[in-house]
Amino acid sequence: MPLEQKVKYEGDCDPEFAKWVVGEIGGENLRHCIQCGICSAACPLSLYMDYTPRRIINLAREGFRKEVLSSFTIWLCSSCYACRVECPKEIHITDIMYLLKRRAIEEGVYPRSFPIPVLAREFGRMIFMFGRVNETLLVTDLFLRTNWFKFLGMIGLGLNLMRTGRMSFLPDTIKRRGELRKVLEALDAEEKKEKKEALS
Amino acid sequence: MSENKPKQENLPRIGFYVCHCGSNISSMVDVAAVQKYAAGLPGVVVSRDYKYMCSDPGQEMIAKDIKEHKLERLVVSACSPNLHEETFRKAAARGGLNPFYFQMVNIREHVAWVHTDKKAATEKAMQLVSAAIARVAFHQALDKKRVPVDPNVMVVGGGIAGIHAALTLANAGKKVTLVEREATIGGHMALFDKTFPTLDCAACILTPKMSAVKAHPNITLWTYSEVEKVEGYVGNYKVTVKRKPRYVKEDLCVGCMECIDACVFKEAKFADKFNQGLGKRKPVYIDFPQATPKVVLIDKDTCLHFKTGKCKQSCATACDRKAFDFNQKEETKELQVGAIVLATGFKAFDPARSPQYGYGRYPGVYTALEIERLVNASGPTSGEITLRDGKHPKAVGIIHCVGSRDAKTNKWCSRVCCMYSLKLAHLIKEHSGAEVYNFYIDMRAPGKAYEEFYDKLLGEGVHFIRGRVDEVTDWAMTPDEEGKLVLRVEDTLAGFVRRIPVDMVVLSTGLEPQADAQEVRRRFNIGCGTEGFFQERHPKLAPVNTFTDGIYIAGACQAPRDIPDTVAQAGAAAAEALALIDAGFVELEPNTSHVIEDECCGCKSCVPLCPYSAITFDEVKKKAVINEVLCKGCGVCAAACPSGSIVQNLFDDDEIFSEIRGILK
Repeated sequence: MPLEQKVKYEGDCDPEFAKWVVGEIGGENLRHCIQCGICSAACPLSLYMDYTPRRIINLAREGFRKEVLSSFTIWLCSSCYACRVECPKEIHITDIMYLLKRRAIEEGVYPRSFPIPVLAREFGRMIFMFGRVNETLLVTDLFLRTNWFKFLGMIGLGLNLMRTGRMSFLPDTIKRRGELRKVLEALDAEEKKEKKEALS
Repeated sequence: MSENKPKQENLPRIGFYVCHCGSNISSMVDVAAVQKYAAGLPGVVVSRDYKYMCSDPGQEMIAKDIKEHKLERLVVSACSPNLHEETFRKAAARGGLNPFYFQMVNIREHVAWVHTDKKAATEKAMQLVSAAIARVAFHQALDKKRVPVDPNVMVVGGGIAGIHAALTLANAGKKVTLVEREATIGGHMALFDKTFPTLDCAACILTPKMSAVKAHPNITLWTYSEVEKVEGYVGNYKVTVKRKPRYVKEDLCVGCMECIDACVFKEAKFADKFNQGLGKRKPVYIDFPQATPKVVLIDKDTCLHFKTGKCKQSCATACDRKAFDFNQKEETKELQVGAIVLATGFKAFDPARSPQYGYGRYPGVYTALEIERLVNASGPTSGEITLRDGKHPKAVGIIHCVGSRDAKTNKWCSRVCCMYSLKLAHLIKEHSGAEVYNFYIDMRAPGKAYEEFYDKLLGEGVHFIRGRVDEVTDWAMTPDEEGKLVLRVEDTLAGFVRRIPVDMVVLSTGLEPQADAQEVRRRFNIGCGTEGFFQERHPKLAPVNTFTDGIYIAGACQAPRDIPDTVAQAGAAAAEALALIDAGFVELEPNTSHVIEDECCGCKSCVPLCPYSAITFDEVKKKAVINEVLCKGCGVCAAACPSGSIVQNLFDDDEIFSEIRGILK
C-alpha cells in the first residue's frame, strides 16, 4: 500500500466555505454542533459512509471543502431526517446535506461514477426539459453514465416493465413547458444575483 | 495490673451490640456468630445484633436495656467511631449511663470493607470485640470540659474568598483581622478583566467589596503581612503576624500618587509584577488604581535610596502628608482569636515546566493571566491585544490543560480553565477580530449558565479542536506557516493531524497549591492531600472544616475552584466560624493526661516532648503540671514518663493491657 501524507495544513482549509454553509438556509446552527455523534448513530446509512455525518459537520465548519464535497456521505443521505429529529442542537443536518450536494454538483467534484449524484443531476435536467420525469429515459441515462455494463443485464426487466405498461418510452411532458422553464431560469438568476450581492 | 483485674463475680454488667449496617458489615462478617460469641464473654449480660444500630430504634434498644438490665458498661460493634461514637455515647447517657462507660469497635472500615474471607473476617471481628469487652470494664466515669471561645476571628488571604469571609463575619458583629501577603487585597480576581459566564467586569463587582473591607468598622486590614506562628487551641488561638515595611506610613498616605510622578526615575522601567511583567513600574508604586488600602509602597530592590544611599528622595519631598519613612522596620504583632479562616488561594502553573509550548522561548506565547492583563482596560495596553512586538495577531491559539491532566506535571483537572479559556476566546475575538482556535481535551462546563456560554462561543465562530497540542514551533513547512507559530495537534473529531499557524499562543495554565502551602499547613497544624491542597475534614459533609477545630478553609487553597464556588465556600467557612463563636464555649474530649502528683519525680522529661506546649513545670512543688485545655490526648507524655506518674484518661494501663489480653485470647 503506498504511503500517503495525511496531515492537514491550514492552507487546505477554505474558511469561506464554512461561512457559506452557515449563511445558507438550513446551515444556521452548524457552528453550535457539540460533536456528540448522535446523528451518526441514528443514521441508517452511516455504516456505508466514508465520513459519518458528525465528521461531515465538523469538517464543514472547519472549512475542509474538498473532503466534504467529494465525500460519498452526502450522496448516501436518503433524507430520512432521523439525525435532524435526534440532534440536541437542532442542526438541520439533512438540509446541510442538500446544500453540500448542490455545491458539489456546481463545483463538479462529486464522485463521477457514483449513481446518486448523477441521478440527482439528470433528474433536475429532465424536469427542466420536460417538466416531468420519464423513468425509462432517466434509468437508461443513469445506467449509461455510470455502469452501462449493468444496463445489459437489466434490459429484460425493462422490457417486461414496458410490456405491462409500468414504463414507457413515450415522452411524458406537461403543457406550457416554456413557462416552467422561465420560472426555473428566473429562480436561478435570482440565486446568482443574491450570491453576487453576498460576495460584494 | 493483673491484681487490679476485676474478679469474675465483681465484673460490671456489660451490654454488647453488633450492627449489620444493612449489608455493609453482615455481608463479610457473620454477625450472629459474633453476637453468640460475645454473649459468652465474662461480664456480658446482654448481647444483641441489629440491622441498623445507629437508627432511632437501635438507640432506644440500648437505652431501654441499660435501665432494664441495669447495665454498667456498653460496647457497640459497628462502624468507625468518627461516624457514630457520639451517637452511642448519647444513647448511653439517655439510659442513665456515663457516656464514657462505652467502647466502640469498628468492624466496618477495619474488617468488613477491607477483607474478602468471611471466616477470617468474622474471627478478626470476634478478637476486636473481645478486646473492647475486656477494656470497657476498666472505664472510668468522665466529664467533658468546657472552655470559652474568643469571639474574634482572623482571616488569612485577601482574595475574593478572604474578602467575602471577612465581610460576612464582620457583618455578624465579629471583630475580624484580615491578613494579606501582598500590598493590596483582591487576589487573582483583581487581575481579571471579565468573569465567566456572565461577562460582568471583575473590577466592577470586586472593588466595592474591597472598599467595604477597608471601611468596615469591624475589620482590621493588615496587608503586606504574613502569619508567622499559631499557638493555642480551638476558641483560643494566639497568632503572631509579621508586618513587612512599606517605607510609607499607611495611616498618613492617601494614595494621591504625587510621589510616583516625583520619583527620580522619570520613566517606569522595572517589571510590573501586578501586570505579570507586561508593564513597567517605578520603585515607588501602587499595584492598580483601586488597590486597597490605597497606599503606595517602595520596592527596596529597585529604589535608588536603598541601593546606593544617594538619592535626593524626591518622592518624600513631594509628599504633603510626610508619609515617607525610610527607616520603617518589620513589625511583629500578636492576635488573640477564637477561629481562623484560611483562604490563601492558589498559584498558577509555571508553563516553563512544559517546554514543548515554547513559553519564554517564543515571544508570541503568553499565559492566560498575561492575557487577562492584556484584555483588561486598565492593563498595560488599555485592553488592546498587541503582541510583544506591537503587532496585532490575526490568529490566536488557546491551549487548554497546560499543567493539568498530565502525569508529568499535575494530574488533576484545574476546573476553571475551560471556562476562562472560553471567556478569553470571546474577549480576544471581540477586541481584535482574530481567528481564535481552542485546543481542548474535554470541554468541561458544569455550572449554572456555563454550557450556554460554551454554546454562545460555538455560535461566535471560535474554532474548537479536540486534541492536546503536541508542540508549538516556528519551523514552517508551508509558505503559509512562515513567520508564524505552528501548533501541531490531532483533531480527534476530524480524524487527522493538523498544523495550525497562529500569531499568538495562550496557555491556559492550571491551578496549583501555593508554593509555600506545605509550610502554611504546618504552621496552622492542618493536613493536605497528595497534590498539596489543604485537606477538608470530609470531602462531602465537612468541606470547609479541617481536622483542627476552629480552623476553616475556603476557596482555591482547598482545590481549584471558580469565583461563585469560592464565594459560596467562603460564606460557609464564615458560618462555621460563627457557629463555633456563638456557641460561646467548646467541649473538650476528656481523653487528656494528668500527673499523679505524689508519684512525679520532677525529671521534666515530659515538658519538651509535648507537641502542644501543654506541660509546664511547677518550680515550687517541683512537679510537672498538665494544662488539660491544651492537651490533645496524644499520649506522648504518658508513654515517656519514667515513673509512670502520667495517666491518660481512656488509655490508662489497665485499659490498654486488658485490651491487649482481650485480643490475644
